[in-house]
Amino acid sequence: MTDATITAGGAGAAPRDAVSTYERHRAELRASKRVWNILFLSAFLICLALSIYISRFYPDRLAEGVPRIFEYFATILPDLQWDVLFDGRDENGRAVPGSLTFWYTDFWDYLQLLWETILMAVTATIIGTAVAFVMSFPAANNLAPNSWVYWLSRRFLEICRGIPEILLALVFVFAIGIGPLAGVLAIAIHTAGALGKLFAEVNENASGRPVDGITAVGGTWPEKMLYGVVPQVMPNFFSYAMLRFEINVRASSIIGFVGAGGIGAELNRVISFYSDDRVLAVLILVVLMVTIIDLISEDIRHRFIGKENF
Amino acid sequence: MKLASISAVDEEQISDARAAHPGAFRTPWDEVKKWAPWVIAIAYVIGSLIYFDIARLLEASERVLRLLRAMVVWEDMATWQYANIYTGIAQTLAMAFLGTLMGTIGSLFVGFLAAKNVNPSGFLRQIVRRFLDILRGIDQLVWGLVFVRAVGLGPLAGVLAIFISDLGTLSKLYSEAIENIDRKQVEGVRATGAGPLAVIRYGYLPQVLPVFISQSLYFWESNTRSATILGIVGAGGIGMILIERFRAQLYDQVFFVVLNVLALIFIIDWLSKRIRLRAIGEKSH
Repeated sequence: MTDATITAGGAGAAPRDAVSTYERHRAELRASKRVWNILFLSAFLICLALSIYISRFYPDRLAEGVPRIFEYFATILPDLQWDVLFDGRDENGRAVPGSLTFWYTDFWDYLQLLWETILMAVTATIIGTAVAFVMSFPAANNLAPNSWVYWLSRRFLEICRGIPEILLALVFVFAIGIGPLAGVLAIAIHTAGALGKLFAEVNENASGRPVDGITAVGGTWPEKMLYGVVPQVMPNFFSYAMLRFEINVRASSIIGFVGAGGIGAELNRVISFYSDDRVLAVLILVVLMVTIIDLISEDIRHRFIGKENF
Repeated sequence: MKLASISAVDEEQISDARAAHPGAFRTPWDEVKKWAPWVIAIAYVIGSLIYFDIARLLEASERVLRLLRAMVVWEDMATWQYANIYTGIAQTLAMAFLGTLMGTIGSLFVGFLAAKNVNPSGFLRQIVRRFLDILRGIDQLVWGLVFVRAVGLGPLAGVLAIFISDLGTLSKLYSEAIENIDRKQVEGVRATGAGPLAVIRYGYLPQVLPVFISQSLYFWESNTRSATILGIVGAGGIGMILIERFRAQLYDQVFFVVLNVLALIFIIDWLSKRIRLRAIGEKSH
């Protein structure tokens, strides 16, 4: 635009020409923008039509399905009665229908599974963070000792985080059998990939001066990382790892869907085989666990960051 | 600087200095405090791995070999029903697209309801917010399973699962964006005597639309990722094909499907980055 005005002025043309050049240019811009808008809109509509066709998302199917959703949610509501709500078990060990004890018959089993879920998340987070910590230095482009190490570690981290963790869990369940170990390994690998990338970005933003200082006194590469970079990035690493822990608690609560341990297996079982109040009982416990862990982790993060004056 | 001057510092001088400035030297207790968290963490990991039966890894070799073999040796490739596989991929994309679109449209309304500066009724706002918390608290995969129970196997359950979990997250993000806008434009529109809907259309929407678009695009990308695994619980898409082949022990086909999923995820990442740049300019993100 400025080009056109300058040439028009430079040629000594009347101001009228400059105006008409401007108007012409503006019309061109508007026309091209309109073309783009139409193209974009039609692409969008084509995508929409194709999507509806492919997933058979037709109004009649929806009209048929939506009432069933509400029916389903009605069936999983517990039938609680106020007068017997807090009644325990009688002498035969039977709970009164309508009481909380009746609703949460398997409460202690659930609690044990929830505990296992949290342990899985903690172990996977620690292992994943350790791997991410080691990989983040060669994967930071200012710290990598040479370009092929950088390239290799970047691709390694990409593969680790590219595969969905539940797929990894499926493979591990096949390889080493049903149980929490498969889930721990799957979540740890995914954590290593996701955190490794974040850690590498933190490393790239770290100041190079401490590293130069250690280079000047003859430090080796590991020493440069350990004494030059680690003290700068530790608070950030910790905060990211805690955030990841929150995500991992969620992940480990569903990874049991494929048999990889934790509350997920029970969740899958009650949803797939029963449609009664057990579904809601487990769901409530899972949501409570996730919420409580989030609150605790947030508290720890704030305290740690406060202490480090970050 | 001569080395001699360093070696001239003898044990006696060091112990004198230690007595004079105890704070400058580490005590054994400091060492314990420094190393204790690491020792505890390592002990915990070892302990929990033993509890989780780490020894199984050693017994797994035969199955691992079978998996590794399936990665390289692909048998009967002519009978693999590629049409089936690529329909699954198309279904995954369609589910993510429809789910995100519905979630975006729903969040447009719910987001305004949950925003402090638009919805004056504190009670209604709290109800909407708590409801969104519940939607967000339950994982997408669980929603998938629930909808499979409610409406049957197939992509409809997947679309609904994506819609519900997006409604929870996007509405929250939208309402935060709405709460952070500049009041002046809203007051300007209101001063002309516009009704509440016109105020939202001309006062709020122009300010928040770029944020909305970029967040929805981001969710479209992440939903395409998660739609690939929604099929594991039977909610349609490539995941369903994956789990079928897995149950039928056709590991070479599983590996092929996984490669396709990875390629899909990388393409979507790239495409979404391009569209985002186009839609909201180079500066943001």
